[in-house]
Amino acid sequence: MKMQVAVPPRVLRFRPSPIAAVLITLMGIGFVVAMVRFASGIGTISNLSNTYPWGFWISFDIYTGIAISSGAFLLAAAVYIFDLKEFRPLLMPSILTALIGYFMEVLALMVDLGRPERIFNMLFFQNFTSWMLVLGLCVMIYLAILVVEFAPVALKGLKREKLAQFARRFIKPAVILGVVVSTIHQGSLGSLLLIQSAKLHPLWWTPLLPVMFFVSSISIGLAMIIFESSMSSRYFRRGLEMHLLEKLAKAIPVALGIYAVLKFAQLILSGNFWHLFDSGLHSVLFWAEIIVGVVIPLIIFASPRNRQNPRMLLVGAIILLLGMILNRFNVSWFGIQRLQDVSYVPSLTEVSISAAIFSFGILAFGLVARYLPLFEDAEAAAANS
Amino acid sequence: MPSTVSRRDFIKIGGAAAGALALASFVPPAVAQAARQAGHLNAQGDGYIPSLCEMCVWRCGLLAKVKDGRVVKLDGNPDHPHSKGKLCPRGQAGIMTTYDPDRVLSPLIRVGRRGEGKFRKATWDEALDLVANQMQAIKEKYGAEAMVFSSTHNLSQVQFENFLQAFGSPNYGTQRSLCFNAMIVSNLMTYGMEEPSRSYDRLKYIILTGRNLAEAISNSETGEWIEAIDRGAKLVCLDPRFTKTAAKAVEWLPIRPGTDLAFHLALINVIIGESLYDRYFVGAYTEGFEELAAAVRSFTPEWASSITEIPAVTITRIAREFAAAAPSALAHNGWRTSNFVNSFQTERAIAILNAIVGNWGTTMHPAGGEEGGALGKPPQPAYPRVSALRLDGVPWRYPFVPLKIGVFQQLRDSILEANPYRAHGWFVSRQNPVLSLPDRQRTLAAMASMDFIATVDIIMNDTAWFSDVVLPEASYLERYDPLSVVGNRAYIRQPVIEPQGEARSALWIYKQLGDRLGISDFFQYKDEEDYIEQQLAPLGVSLEEVRQRGFADLPEGKSDVFRWNTPSGKIELKSATLDQAGFAGIPTWEEPPAPAAGQFYLLTGKGARQTQFGTQNNLLLHKYDDEPRLWMNANTAAGQGLQDNDMVEVASEVGKIYVRLLATQAIRLDCVYMTPGFGHLSKGLTTAYGLGSSDSDLHITYTDPISGGQALSQTFVTVKKA
Amino acid sequence: MATIKQHAYLFDATRCIDCRACMIACSVENNVPMNDTYIWVTGRGVMGEYPDLQRATMPYHCMHCLAPDCVSGCPVGAWSKREDGPVLYDEDKCIGCRYCMNTCPFSVPHFDWDKGLFDGALMHKCTMCPQRLEVGQEPACVQTCPTGALKFGEREELIAEAHALIKAHPDRYIDHVYGELENGGTSYLILSHVPFSELGLPDVGIIPVKNVSEAAMRVTVPFAVGWGAVLTGVTVGVGLNKKRQEEASKKKAEEGATVAGGEK
Repeated sequence: MKMQVAVPPRVLRFRPSPIAAVLITLMGIGFVVAMVRFASGIGTISNLSNTYPWGFWISFDIYTGIAISSGAFLLAAAVYIFDLKEFRPLLMPSILTALIGYFMEVLALMVDLGRPERIFNMLFFQNFTSWMLVLGLCVMIYLAILVVEFAPVALKGLKREKLAQFARRFIKPAVILGVVVSTIHQGSLGSLLLIQSAKLHPLWWTPLLPVMFFVSSISIGLAMIIFESSMSSRYFRRGLEMHLLEKLAKAIPVALGIYAVLKFAQLILSGNFWHLFDSGLHSVLFWAEIIVGVVIPLIIFASPRNRQNPRMLLVGAIILLLGMILNRFNVSWFGIQRLQDVSYVPSLTEVSISAAIFSFGILAFGLVARYLPLFEDAEAAAANS
Repeated sequence: MPSTVSRRDFIKIGGAAAGALALASFVPPAVAQAARQAGHLNAQGDGYIPSLCEMCVWRCGLLAKVKDGRVVKLDGNPDHPHSKGKLCPRGQAGIMTTYDPDRVLSPLIRVGRRGEGKFRKATWDEALDLVANQMQAIKEKYGAEAMVFSSTHNLSQVQFENFLQAFGSPNYGTQRSLCFNAMIVSNLMTYGMEEPSRSYDRLKYIILTGRNLAEAISNSETGEWIEAIDRGAKLVCLDPRFTKTAAKAVEWLPIRPGTDLAFHLALINVIIGESLYDRYFVGAYTEGFEELAAAVRSFTPEWASSITEIPAVTITRIAREFAAAAPSALAHNGWRTSNFVNSFQTERAIAILNAIVGNWGTTMHPAGGEEGGALGKPPQPAYPRVSALRLDGVPWRYPFVPLKIGVFQQLRDSILEANPYRAHGWFVSRQNPVLSLPDRQRTLAAMASMDFIATVDIIMNDTAWFSDVVLPEASYLERYDPLSVVGNRAYIRQPVIEPQGEARSALWIYKQLGDRLGISDFFQYKDEEDYIEQQLAPLGVSLEEVRQRGFADLPEGKSDVFRWNTPSGKIELKSATLDQAGFAGIPTWEEPPAPAAGQFYLLTGKGARQTQFGTQNNLLLHKYDDEPRLWMNANTAAGQGLQDNDMVEVASEVGKIYVRLLATQAIRLDCVYMTPGFGHLSKGLTTAYGLGSSDSDLHITYTDPISGGQALSQTFVTVKKA
Repeated sequence: MATIKQHAYLFDATRCIDCRACMIACSVENNVPMNDTYIWVTGRGVMGEYPDLQRATMPYHCMHCLAPDCVSGCPVGAWSKREDGPVLYDEDKCIGCRYCMNTCPFSVPHFDWDKGLFDGALMHKCTMCPQRLEVGQEPACVQTCPTGALKFGEREELIAEAHALIKAHPDRYIDHVYGELENGGTSYLILSHVPFSELGLPDVGIIPVKNVSEAAMRVTVPFAVGWGAVLTGVTVGVGLNKKRQEEASKKKAEEGATVAGGEK
């Protein structure tokens, strides 16, 4: 049965659902808070301080945000480099996730940077020993690449078929560049921490940080694809591409396994294995991220029966994501040892900014899914099966 | 930094009210012109001007960096022996005292009730006329003695004294009896001089009794002392509190308050008993050794140890080490020695201890004079004869207290008691008796009994707040003062910026009042510059030159054969003067009072970022200062169910305050401590008002009959959760 | 006087009396806003149990590292190390990302938390008073220290002086000059009577923390190029393979059709 492609209505009658109303309200609150930030400084709406220059925004909006956008380059590589066309149905939603995700990061940077109006200084004054520069440039480049990759869908939705066709020509080179940039970018979040060897607890610091980040981003990306597909299947009342997700889920234990081996080998060889037991809260946090982010998902996804069960797929994906998010929080916040005995708890206004950005992300995804042919490939594949 | 900085507005260093700046631009830039003539400022008006600090009495030489008519930085003047190119924290913060937004910049006349803080601005003429008329009226009605004059010693003091003496009043109050009377009088009795000078360059062993050199900073002395310790000098520190000075000690002795006397008597006992004293020096230069030896025989280390809570072996060992290190040894005579009534005896014991080990000429030397005899002064007639008794009991009640020093707390009490007569007016200059005198309520009551109070100050300190007229003095960076003699040089304080608003120098204020009171013969100078020129006249040096160099050289003093200025011409181990007056000629043991159960000794002291009672409003000092809290031993606090930072009620016989607690290891279990100078009542002090509490609300007035010194540590208090 | 090659400070914790003249002098000299400071007190203050007590404090400020990590990490190169010592800041370049606050192993740079878009939020730290060095003066903190706990001069000479002091008073100092080797060497050298951690100084190795970060950076471009080449190769290869398979099946289909057609 062929499903109708949604046609953008000529008149937009604005009657938001309860969820959308909440999201819009959160966005409104965040907007007001952001205005206060621009008027009177970051300190007025957050609990950041000289001891905690980076806090919730960086851990949640940047570290977590970039990690959970990693599904896109995996699928893009699968479809356009390895020519595994079967994964096409999953591709565009994933690219949209990443596109919106990266845009959310830019929004976060607008609030978190001390001088957001100078963000383009990174194009004019470049210090090539700085991983912060690499991160900034990667965000700019990859955002452009995502726009190119998503352009066909957008243009098609806007009824510009010819332009859409034209845009498709650039996808393959964009994807190759995108995979390279993504590899470096996912790794750069780890490289950012290489210079903090005196501060980041030895349970997490290793010269292999960029490799660890990249390897973990693969499992995170795969889990995100499962998560996003499950969510849109529920919310947009669509089918679920179980056969594809099953295949992706098969790769997760491999990715997790490599990650775990790297992590523990590095801990043993550097002589830091004993910190697993003697570092109090840090030990607990480390065990938590390993058990939740690696062990449990590995057990879940190793079983073929679980892989064929949509609910187990989702549960496994969520657990993996939670564990990996904890890992991102650990390396960027909890694991950093401070010189001053000062505490930091993000303030409500601080969290409201992230809540607003998150709400924007969900709303944006929903709006695009409703008005653009996002699931066209999925429907086409379903129709052909 | 305390987290209670209440003013989050970005007051840039040196930011004064725009109004003051605007006013200054209409006044011809006399200071800038003068400074340019002296060669300090370039064509743009930028440069360094040498002058003198006034953030404490050490009066270091400074170099003021001036840019666009504003002081932007103060550096120590390398040419001045008190600073040697450095400034202590208060000296560095001096800019914010001059540019304090709360500066009083025009004469003020009270319109509300006293203490309400309602004043109206007045012209100088109106204010000065009012003050002079009131003073004259009091003089005519009640006699000149009904007018009380008090000022804390400063460079204009010579003219202040001139003023009150020309007016004809004997009533002169200074801060000294709250500070060093015990030390001064004991030195006078022993050495015939107020305070021998000390040197640290050969020092090997030093005993500090209190004298918190690391926090009650005397710039150069603190530096020389640290230098000596760095070279290996051994420090023994007697203090019930582990101060920053005690932290430098090889031996910190948390001695029971009031028992320093026992400790030193025991040292003398050991040194004489074991024949460790300098035989030759004692024989040639001291008087009364035999009586001393007999008198100290009973003051053994064992006897002292139960009193002081210091082990006898320690006392004995220190005595031997001290004597062995002599003459490169020093028992520091302290400075603020207003602790217990027996502090005078303690000071005598310290003076004697130094004498018998013969460190004179090695670590102790003749005093340098402060008033330069070589300087000139304006001509004036003889002072009118004064027949009235002094209200402060000098000398009729306190025969040993020099007139210049007085007994300030007695002055206040006599005012209150109207005994032997009633005082009607009080002229205060550069002083804050409301905070400095013990028992604040009594001081306020004394002031309330006055018909008229006028205060000269740069800011609305508590005493100014309770006055009828406030006359705005120019800050030390804005004025001339009489020359300051240090060693063989006379240093100049000169204005480095135009005085803000209508502030004027004390020299000018006193002369204006003098002219109105018909005593202008005693103020025969045209203006500040003329005064200084008259001072310089005998030296044959121009004011120009002195402004340029920062000082004038004084001629070498005549080298007389040195004699101690005592009745016997020698160091008096036994003071015949005291003996004849019926007091102990040899220091003797006086048991100090002790707190009852449940009470604590209330100790006082100093912090490095404040000076007594006038700097607490300085924004820079406040920024880097610790929050003023009540120190209590952490174990004692825990035992009383008190926690760090609790609000506690501290009560003595005469008053009660509320203050936050600091639970610390650094103090004896039976003591509590507060840094004085906080708890200002004046709402004209935006930063200081509401900050901390004042120990002057708690202090009971006790006066030592010999030296007139106040006993600030004899007040006992209870502490409980508020 | 010979020109100094590498300016440095020498701090002797045994001489420090925690008076904070250095902090006040610095604030005045450098117009530091009231709610910030370039120098602050660190150290445990009073340590021990009554009456066995000890004190340790120090004025903590920028270490002016020989191999500064803020210089390495700043994306726009706002931090720079001047030849003769000071690590300086270019406020025109800074984007306020605060990465330098993370890269600095001594946690030195401060940020303007209370400045909005129009005031310009910047980074702040000790500058070694270049405006004073220019006119032959010492930094404000050093010049005013009443006890001479802070000294200033040529780095090598101060290191030698520090070791000489340790030798002359072996029971007074910890046998180590902090900053001689830490993080590749700093220009704030410290002598102490207590373990340096008690003074609030972090435990930093002798290899500059930026070395690993910069080594990874040097690998990145060749890696990116290589990875891109590999991916391109795979893409092309897969594409070629697919084409070959398509042509093969097409041929097969054609042959099959011909056969089928032939048979008919």
